[in-house]
Amino acid sequence: MSKIMTVDVLSSIKGAQPSETVNKLFEVIKNANLTNNNSFNNNHNCVSLNNLREDVVIDSSPLEKQIIIENFPKEKNGYLVVSKVIEE
Amino acid sequence: MDSQIQTIHQQLVDKEITCTALVQSKLDALKQNTNNTVNALLGEKALELAAKVDAKIANGESIGLLEGIPFGIKDVYMVQGTITTASSNLLKNYKSAYTATAIQKLLDAGAIPLVKENCDSFGHGSSSENTIFGAVKNANNPDLVGGGSSGGSAVNVAKDYTVFSIGGDTGGSIRQPAGYNNVYGLKPTYGRISRYGLMAYASSTDCVGPIAKSLEDIRIVLNAMSGKDVKDQTTYASAEIDKDAISTSEDIKTIGYFKNFIESEAIDAEVKADFLATIEKIKAKGIEVKALDFFESNTLVSTYYTLAMAETASNLSRLDGTNYGSRIEAENLKETYSVTRSENFSEETKRRIVGGNQVLSQGFSDEIYLKSLGLRDQISENFEKDFNEVDIILSPVTPSTPPKIGDSLKDPLAMYLSDAYTVGFSLGQLPTLTVPQGTSTGLQITAAKNNDELVLKFANFLKDTI
Repeated sequence: MSKIMTVDVLSSIKGAQPSETVNKLFEVIKNANLTNNNSFNNNHNCVSLNNLREDVVIDSSPLEKQIIIENFPKEKNGYLVVSKVIEE
Repeated sequence: MDSQIQTIHQQLVDKEITCTALVQSKLDALKQNTNNTVNALLGEKALELAAKVDAKIANGESIGLLEGIPFGIKDVYMVQGTITTASSNLLKNYKSAYTATAIQKLLDAGAIPLVKENCDSFGHGSSSENTIFGAVKNANNPDLVGGGSSGGSAVNVAKDYTVFSIGGDTGGSIRQPAGYNNVYGLKPTYGRISRYGLMAYASSTDCVGPIAKSLEDIRIVLNAMSGKDVKDQTTYASAEIDKDAISTSEDIKTIGYFKNFIESEAIDAEVKADFLATIEKIKAKGIEVKALDFFESNTLVSTYYTLAMAETASNLSRLDGTNYGSRIEAENLKETYSVTRSENFSEETKRRIVGGNQVLSQGFSDEIYLKSLGLRDQISENFEKDFNEVDIILSPVTPSTPPKIGDSLKDPLAMYLSDAYTVGFSLGQLPTLTVPQGTSTGLQITAAKNNDELVLKFANFLKDTI
């Protein structure tokens, strides 16, 4: 079963269409001359895995938690109110 | 111009001025300004901090170099308790829960934040017109754009409303507005300064950097913000750049410039003539100058925008009005996401999100997105090769002078192409500084990765040469 996802659905933007301007940029890439086709990400821009931070939980400060709650678009008794999730 | 930070520091220590009077005068100037540089003033907190500095001085205590120095912050940085809008409708009431590492380091050094500065929404633009706060007007001519995306920051520095400002540069967003307003603006090596607390646009090229009126102030602020941060795994430890280390340039023997940048039909005749005249002055000082081959401007711009759009589509997918932001309720969850994003994002932001999702889709990713990554690698390899031959690459900042307000919004392709000289260095993650010399929109000085010191050294040499 194949279901085509259009860019408006992928982007969650109503009525969105690919832009002609942006397509012109993509055309340049399609026509560009790539000398070593399978060589992308040759460690030019990668982060080393040998120096990762500790995988520990750090509790936020009380002020940080208070501001996060202040930012809730809709709040009830200190809880975030979200839209009803529908099953498709 | 000499260091404003040093001058003000000395005036404070000698009790020629009070910090409170200084901060108040800057706040007044910002409030009255007609260049649309301000998204929010941080007046109350700034005056409170200034009073503490004055009390310290009155008690005979010593103060640090950055203590009491007023600065501006592009409105994409988290500063706990302040509204951080990214100049967008979606976040127009969003309050930062925490403070960005780079900003925290400046606060720890005692610098005083005055203002959250206008910019293109989420960094999406090259003119600071894509904002809910009104187009930023150029410091030298208010009919022209302030440049972008850190336009408010560059104009504030040029107008002396802030001593320095912290911008963000993804494809030229510090360097281009610095050039348009004739001030210094540095994009350091990617990873030298932590991105923690900077709203993500394109994470693989996003950089934090200073804008200031003197090279010395750029050095001071760069040193204060640099360093490894466990909250940003792409950061690395770097040595402080010493003032004396950049005072001599004897080790710079050879520089290069990209032939195709200068031979391009798109370059303004005056920018070209001024750039070539600068090259002659440098040659006259005994430095060898090599003309280098580089990628076509179209390829650079298209590679950059393809990758930046893909990254911003992913980064901005979190902005759906669920946990924060201006939610617009609709009949169900998906409709709420969709209406919230459709109504609250600007046309330019939507164009970039849609473009990003396009190239990340099956059927497009191989021939566009993955190919762009391959091109980026080739661009990086080209830089590595070049820096085996030359110490510094010199370029104009922009092909032409700042456009009139309104023109960029009408022609987005022209706006994208105007970034031709800045985006390549972003893709290479190289340190690049705009200096307000050489052409009407300045010059860019670039060195190899992690060699920010050499960039400042050459800038210091240029200061006395041209």
